[in-house]
Amino acid sequence: VIQDLLQRGGDLELRADVCVIGSGGGGAVAAAELAVAGRKVVVLEQGPHWTQAHMTQREEQMLPRLFEEAGMRQTVDGSIQVLQGRSVGGSTVHNLCYAFRTPPPILRVWREEHGLGELTEEALEPSLARVERHLKVKPIREDEVNVLNRRIRAGAQKLGYSGLVARHNREGCVQAGYCLLGCSYGAKQSMLVTYVPRADAAGARILTNARCEQIVAEGGRVRRVFARAVDVAGESRARVEVSAPVVVLAAGAVASPDLLLRSGLGGPAVGRHLHLHPSVLVAGFWEEPLHAYRGIPQSYYVDEFIDLERDPHSGYVLMPIAGFPALTATLLPGFGREHHAWMRQFSRLGGLLALLHDRSEGSVRSGSSLAQPEIRYALDESDAAQLTRGARHCAQVLFAAGARRVLVPYAPEPLVLESPAELAAVSARPVRQGAIPLSSTHPQSTCRMGRDPGTSVVGPFGEVHDCAGLFIADMSVFPTSLGAPPQITTAALADRTAHHILDRWNELAA
Amino acid sequence: VAARARAPASSARPPAWAASRRGFLRLAGSATALGALSQVRVAPVRADTAAPAGRFFDDGDTEILTQVMERIVDTGREDAPPLRETGAVATVDTLCLQLDPSISWPLPYLLRVFEWGPFFLDLHFSRFTRMSDAEKDASLRAWMNSRLELRRLAFLAVRNLCFVGFYSQEETWPLIDYKGPLL
Repeated sequence: VIQDLLQRGGDLELRADVCVIGSGGGGAVAAAELAVAGRKVVVLEQGPHWTQAHMTQREEQMLPRLFEEAGMRQTVDGSIQVLQGRSVGGSTVHNLCYAFRTPPPILRVWREEHGLGELTEEALEPSLARVERHLKVKPIREDEVNVLNRRIRAGAQKLGYSGLVARHNREGCVQAGYCLLGCSYGAKQSMLVTYVPRADAAGARILTNARCEQIVAEGGRVRRVFARAVDVAGESRARVEVSAPVVVLAAGAVASPDLLLRSGLGGPAVGRHLHLHPSVLVAGFWEEPLHAYRGIPQSYYVDEFIDLERDPHSGYVLMPIAGFPALTATLLPGFGREHHAWMRQFSRLGGLLALLHDRSEGSVRSGSSLAQPEIRYALDESDAAQLTRGARHCAQVLFAAGARRVLVPYAPEPLVLESPAELAAVSARPVRQGAIPLSSTHPQSTCRMGRDPGTSVVGPFGEVHDCAGLFIADMSVFPTSLGAPPQITTAALADRTAHHILDRWNELAA
Repeated sequence: VAARARAPASSARPPAWAASRRGFLRLAGSATALGALSQVRVAPVRADTAAPAGRFFDDGDTEILTQVMERIVDTGREDAPPLRETGAVATVDTLCLQLDPSISWPLPYLLRVFEWGPFFLDLHFSRFTRMSDAEKDASLRAWMNSRLELRRLAFLAVRNLCFVGFYSQEETWPLIDYKGPLL
């Protein structure tokens, strides 16, 4: 049963075995696994339920529907755009489907530096296998590699850089290219078409437009959750109270710590240690139209500049990216005719972004409202230097891929390169927050996993240190930056947490 | 949003809040209004299943937005559709109407700061909507290049709203050779 709390109105008091907060990449997995095992599950999702029929491939409609703050959520200093989902299925509805397993060197760091000896590859394998089966993970076929990715691959190979065509979670993809705005064809195997229907079929009750406001604990145990539906004028239209012996918080690495802070739970580490995987985008312009927004947006991946075996704490990857008009316009510099001169080249434009495996840490704090948490993040010197190198490598690969002109979008004065001979100009103008647009699609680690309640929020199976029965199952539990696209790791850890809850059910429900 | 006064105002007449420079400075120069600029982001949508009815900006705000947008999205091309003949401004209004009220409330104030910014930030004795195109562009450049981070961020928020409004119009797609949705 998927029910819109806003449309329903009125107040609800529910009892459940498990209340899951959030239906994205972690929450949907936990909800489905627990419901299939026979637990009575209530899911509270703050966003609406958009289906395939609502995916119109139009930015002005889909950005507000699928993204927090219409895709323009930012750090408080405005220097980093933070893209997060806000509907049933969460960020999996708009992600670009890279399906990477947890890198073994990262698991080793989590074991050796964070005391999480349980997190071995063998222990995680059943969860990874289950998740990949449900998400239909498979290699991207050669005929599915689009024009931009093919050219980037050719450029990287010409330079001798290593890379790979990744795996993805699509089935029957028609290669329209609108993955970022939600799949109109039901091909993307997001939570919306996989785990959410599975939870639904197993009897989970899913309430949409239900924004959680507080988690209540008594005597060191979680007891209940309060949520509200608020209309467009800010008026409360419905309130729901869910009493449950187990609560799984999976609202994402921004909303989860915000909710814990508002509830006075989680200890001193809540909201700290934020990693963002910040990325800098460099644009290349070809002589002929590419229409790079058609086809699977990301399939190839340059991994030359990250070696987690040698250094598991730093590095960056390069990923092709193409956008639609409105989003592209916001990334190009200036305004008026100068800006339009760039936009005229839209069909000949292809981007490459350097995504940083960041050591820098930020924080999430509650803001003036639940809609407006405060995200703070400052790149340290080492990470800023890495992003500068990343921007230079992006420009280098774009030229090698055939781009005739490269734009590094510093604001307000962009850097325009006409040939590879000018690459030194990128190094001469280091990446600095506020001087160039940065973005993040992978906020993580704000309720990190560990042994010490002073420096971590949850234990090795996701249970909050200071609140029995309260588990966290989203990217906020990553002890460090993951250094890879996080979809599969998020889902696998949520699966593992759900099965841990089932293993301990009698104790937890007592 | 609902509580905000929405008295209809003619675009040819100064809106009520523009009664005096001092009055405006009291309003827009207050810590609340300027502090709010740091909170201007473009958009958390409320729980909704359809585009909400009504308007976000009143007539006065809409006229300022329109004139700001005309310069922000100026293409200099004869084949470009006149902004007022597109749905760009209405698209921005609809987008703003869907914002969480805790975030959207400063947006009208922000537009008024754009209107009066030249007057009290740049010592240019004219309101934005009464300037020539060249003067408007100079005023917007002052926002874009300001040494005040808050002012640059406010410009970016408005600039990006304008771009989303404009480039989501189908009439603009031939200008950039975008082939549009496949549906």
